[in-house]
Formats: sequence, C-alpha cells, structure tokens
Amino acid sequence: MTESNAHVTDSAGIYLDYAAATPVDPEVVAAMLPYLTDDFYNPSAPYAKARRVKADLERARATLAHLIGAQPANVVLTAGATEANNLAFSAVSGEVAVSAIEHASVLACAQAHPSCLTIPVKRDGGVEPAAVASSITPQTELVSIALANGEVGTIQPIRKIAQVVRAERARRLEAGEQRPLWLHTDASQAAGCLSVSVSSLGADLITLSAAKLYGPKQVGLLWAADGVRLKPLVRGGGQEGGVRSGTENVAGVVGFARALELAADRRSSEAARLKGLRNRLQQLLTSRFEDAVVFGPSKDRQRLPGLLALSFPGLDARRLVILLEQQGVSVGTGSACAASKMQASPALLALGATPEQAAGSLRITLGRPTTGEEVDAAARAIIRAVEQERERVSGRGGSD
Amino acid sequence: MRGTHVTVGMSGGVDSSLTAALLVEQGYQVTGVYLRNWSRDLPGFKCPWAEDLADAERVAVRLGIGFEVWDCEEAYRQEVVDYLVDSYRQGLTPNPDVMCNEKIKFGTFARLAEEHGADLIATGHYARTRRGRLLRSADAHKDQTYFLWRVPGTVLARTLFPIGDISSKTEVREMAAARGLEVASKPDSQGICFVGEVGLRPFLLEEIERKPGDIVEWGTGRVLGRHQGAFLYTVGQRKGLDLGGGPARYVVRTDTEANIVTVTDDLSCPDLWTSRVCCHDARWVGGAAPADGRYLARTRHTGQLREVEAVFAPEGGTFSISYPEPVRTVAPGQSVVLYEGEECLGGGVADRF
Repeated sequence: MTESNAHVTDSAGIYLDYAAATPVDPEVVAAMLPYLTDDFYNPSAPYAKARRVKADLERARATLAHLIGAQPANVVLTAGATEANNLAFSAVSGEVAVSAIEHASVLACAQAHPSCLTIPVKRDGGVEPAAVASSITPQTELVSIALANGEVGTIQPIRKIAQVVRAERARRLEAGEQRPLWLHTDASQAAGCLSVSVSSLGADLITLSAAKLYGPKQVGLLWAADGVRLKPLVRGGGQEGGVRSGTENVAGVVGFARALELAADRRSSEAARLKGLRNRLQQLLTSRFEDAVVFGPSKDRQRLPGLLALSFPGLDARRLVILLEQQGVSVGTGSACAASKMQASPALLALGATPEQAAGSLRITLGRPTTGEEVDAAARAIIRAVEQERERVSGRGGSD
Repeated sequence: MRGTHVTVGMSGGVDSSLTAALLVEQGYQVTGVYLRNWSRDLPGFKCPWAEDLADAERVAVRLGIGFEVWDCEEAYRQEVVDYLVDSYRQGLTPNPDVMCNEKIKFGTFARLAEEHGADLIATGHYARTRRGRLLRSADAHKDQTYFLWRVPGTVLARTLFPIGDISSKTEVREMAAARGLEVASKPDSQGICFVGEVGLRPFLLEEIERKPGDIVEWGTGRVLGRHQGAFLYTVGQRKGLDLGGGPARYVVRTDTEANIVTVTDDLSCPDLWTSRVCCHDARWVGGAAPADGRYLARTRHTGQLREVEAVFAPEGGTFSISYPEPVRTVAPGQSVVLYEGEECLGGGVADRF
C-alpha cells in the first residue's frame, strides 16, 4: 500500500482550478437574491412591479456595457460563454479561421462551417498577427481567437490581429468585394485579470462569462459591433432584440454586472498578487523537478497571471489529479472539457508538446481566495504525488 | 507470489475493486485494466462507462497500481451483441453474460493480458478455482458459475477469483470500506450491462424490425391480443404481455416464423412443463464430457440446483438431462449447467422443442 493518506490534514480543501469554475462572490449573491424571491417578475409583463424588474435588468446591462466601454444596445445576454460563442459564429455562414488551441465551443462552431482554416500557434501558444494575415483568404468571414487561452494562459495580441482584419476589410472595400470579415474574441478567461475594452481590443464580437468572474454559471454576454448581424439560435418571445429568446435571467444578469464591477475594481491588484503566487508555485515545482515542462509564454505580461500549465513527462496527469485529490488538492488537467473525454489535450499537442508531455500535464489555476499558505501546501502535495508516481513507474518492470 | 504479475479486470464496481486490493495485499504485482466493451447510450439509459472507468482508475491510483484501458468494443459487438440480437431474431433466449465471459473476459482479455506479460488474470467474479477446475463461490446467493460454464479449464488454471472465498456481499462491501475504497457503497449493476435497468426490450426494438402479430390462447386458438414481434417473448414469461387485465398468463411457445405467441392462464398446461431437456453446443471445463450419471443441474443464474440423470452423446457436443419430477420448460437458447457437488462441470444450450 502507498502512503497517500498520510498527509491529508496538511493541505485539506485546497481548490486550484479557478479557470474551470469560480465560487460566487458573497456580494454577487447578495445582489442576486432579491430577484430570486421578491422581485421574481417577468420583465416582459406589463404591471409596475415587472417594469421595475425590467428597468433593473436594463441597468445591469448598462453596467456591463459601460465596464467594457460599449453601448447597452450592442450587448446580447446569453446563457454562458458557450452560447455566446455559438451566437458569434451565427453571424457568418462561410469560411472561418480559428487557432488550433481554441476552446471546444469555438472549435466545434468553426468546424460546423463549410470551411474552417486553422491559424498556427507558436510554441508558447501565441498567435502571431502575421500568421493570421497569411492564414485568411478572400473568402474568410470570421476570425476567432481567445483573448487569453484557458489551457496555457497565453494572452493574444488581439489589438494587432484586429489591425490585420481591418486591413483585409479595407482591401475588400477597395476591390468592391461585399464579403464581410469579423474578428471574434472570447475574453472569458481574461476578464478577471485583464481589462476588456471594446475600443482598445478592436474586435467586432466579444464573449464574456460570469462563471469565470465569481458570478453565476450559465450567464454570459456577446458584444457585437454595429453592422454585425447575429442569427438567433433560440427562438421564441423575441427577447434580446429577437436574437436570444427566453425570459431574461434577471438574477443572473444582475449578478454578472456586480461580478464584473468587482473584477474591474480589483483587477490590477489581483493580477499582481496572483502573478506573484503563481511564480512562487512555479519556482517551488521547477526547482524540485528540473525536467518539468512549463507551457505558455516566458514573459509575464503575455501570460494569464493565475495560471500554471506544467507537465511531468512520463507521468499520467490523471493519476496525479487523483493522488492530489486524496490529499485534498483539486487541480485540472488541460481544460475541464477536454479532460472529461479522457484524451490528451489537443491544444497542448497543437503547440508542439509531445504526447508524453501532454499526458503528464496539469493545469493549476489560482483565484481570488488563494493564499500563499495554500500555494505552499499545494506545492508540497504536488511534490509528494509526483515522487510517489515516479517511484511506482520506475519500480514497474524493474527487479521485483 | 512476489514478482507474479496479475492483470485484474476492473469495472469500477466494488467486487473488482476489492479483488485488486486483495491481490496487492497478497503481494502480487498488479495491473488494473478497464475493458471498454460498450459506450453507446440507449434511449432512456446513459451508458455509465466514463463514470465506471473513472471509479476504476481512482481505485487503481489509491492502490498504487498501474491502470490501463483496453478497447474491446469491436470484439464485444461481434461476440456478444450480435450473438444476442441474432439469437432473439431466431426466437431463442440467449445468455449474453455467458458469451461475454467466454469470448471477452476469458477470451480477448486473457489473451491480451498474456501478451502484456501477465502470469495470471483476475476478475471480481463470485466463483472459485482449484487447479483449473471451477467451483461455486462461498456465497451461494451470489455464485456466478452459471455464467462461467464455457470458460475452459486451461484459462481458469491461470485465473484468480479472490472474491469467491468471501461469504457474503455485505462482507465484500465491509472489506472494501475498511480499505477506504470509495466504491464500497456503489450499487450493484443491474441486468445486461449495456442496456442497464431499462431492460432488453427497447434495445431489441431498436435492433430488430417490429413485426406485429397475434397473441393466441393455447388450446382454443382464440386471439387475445397483439404483440410487436414474437422474438420479444420467452417461454414461461409472465410479465409484459399487455393483455389488458384478466388472469395471469404465461407464454407457452413463441413461433418467430409464423410470428405467433401462444399463452395460457392454466399453469397445468403440459407445454409449460418438461421432464427432459436436450442440449447442444456443450462445453466442459475439463475438456471432455463427464460420464453418464446423476448430477445437479441449473437452468438459470442462482436457480435451484436439481438432481438430474444426464446422458452424454458419445460423439460429444450434445447431451440430455432427465428430471425425476416435471420442471418448468427451459427456454430454447438458455444455458443448462451441470454440477457435481461444488464443482461446475460445464453445460450446454437448451434445444428447441
């Protein structure tokens, strides 16, 4: 038998998978609660109480829009980021171009289009604007690249990619070509630590999610620039300008607005704090295991501050996750969606990781509640788990 | 035992999890393997393979043993599912678990394990082996030898069934809990694994074209109702006739050619009873048929063991058993398994009558 149970108390209940889900902030819960009970009315109903709820909903929309420097009319509220991404892809019916490391919701939408181009990524997960320029064709109608990648944490140069897209648009205008070309960016993973501003990003479509911002799950938004025509995926009573029917999730949207306010308030200090903690964790692990491979950019400013993607080649990350769980530490492997299908992360393979590196890779993401003590205890737990697995692997097939 | 490599088939359930744990404690070099036989969802039944696999892996990691997933979907489809569907299509009542054991667990799995360098294999079956012979488990209620009669003694000779010595399922659960295995309280799986608790009927209706026909009363020929296909019924069946009330009725006969199901409400109907069952496709754990004589026979899983007089055809392959008193008719296609004391000798498949 192993000694995996011997250290439970040391690191009980450490959650380090904030890129998968965040706990709802108590202030967000407080903002939401009245709309679940007293102010439960349907915003479309004609009486005064319902109209007040409708006004609160619109106020929340205005807050969300204001926080990203946008007009409320351009914000479509959705049931989460996956739906927002689907809606973004509804704007075009022709050729699309995405990087190979996009989230499953983007890849799946892209592959449903008649032609899907793959934009290459660098080893650190970065998408070069020049690679976008050489990948797209005169037929391309949508380019979609996440502002920050959720698996390796690369922050993409969306502003420069937007310039490439604008240049192609200008060319088409000159040439008299009618075909539209839009840039979509999923900013869900980025918004907690990076400012998301419509004007500075220069994208035409932007996805945000409350679930990654200490807000409720199944609440998100798609911002669409004037001129982008979204096709409804959910038909019915014509809410959200007919683009997204269904009674509005008032509590969710109010919570989303409060969550984005809090994120905006805390963003710069929180980003610096998480960066320090992440670098400490990385240092503790890479100094102990010199052959560990860290994925993502080497420069901190191109990296999501709270994310550490690293691999212990030769080990099976799923086993490490189970061993860590037995020590009370929750971490992810790749993105949660990819992990549930029990396959090596396609994103890691796309950025040049070997299958062995991909199979041994953990995604550790820190969040608002994470403390220095937690990071130290987690590092100890990870070291124990890795050593235990290495021992088992090296004992196997050797002399018994 | 140290240095002896055992490959354990781990399903994510409590029996195979405890099997792996016990073998580790006994000092074997253990590798856990999840056999992925089936991953298709059916209407109303979500195949739990991914959860089962995760449970199995969790146990393996806790035990500190290696863990692999072997894909047997193709073999399972051919050897078990196709056999099942073909048998029903012909109006037979097959035992898919028997085929799964013969062809997959003690066929493909045993072969792959050997190729991977295993000295022995192990499963969580309730059964015991002694030098290639098959014995009933200590827990008479859980004994699974009825499903193992087609497994050759040569394979059983290198198979371990650690659970077979434990006196009850309760004790199995307690032992699993004492070892901190999270699956200790996981409910037992029900029925044929790939159709789950939904049952076979919806699955068969997906695989075989519906063919409405008459349900006819035995003796009178009176039409009592309609059915969706005679292949859906089994001799002796009482439930699911859907005749809109009335007395309890039993299926006496199914004729898939004429597509007629004959039923009766008279339990003394002679066609419901038999004193002799003829069997084909015989297999014997020891290789050769036993000598003619008195044995115990069982015609369903954990069914009553009854004394019979067995006569084996000299050319092999077929035999017949005679009961001292009439017993309920054995549905064609069902396994007839013979025992001598604790030992399961093998058996055959009930003929049409």
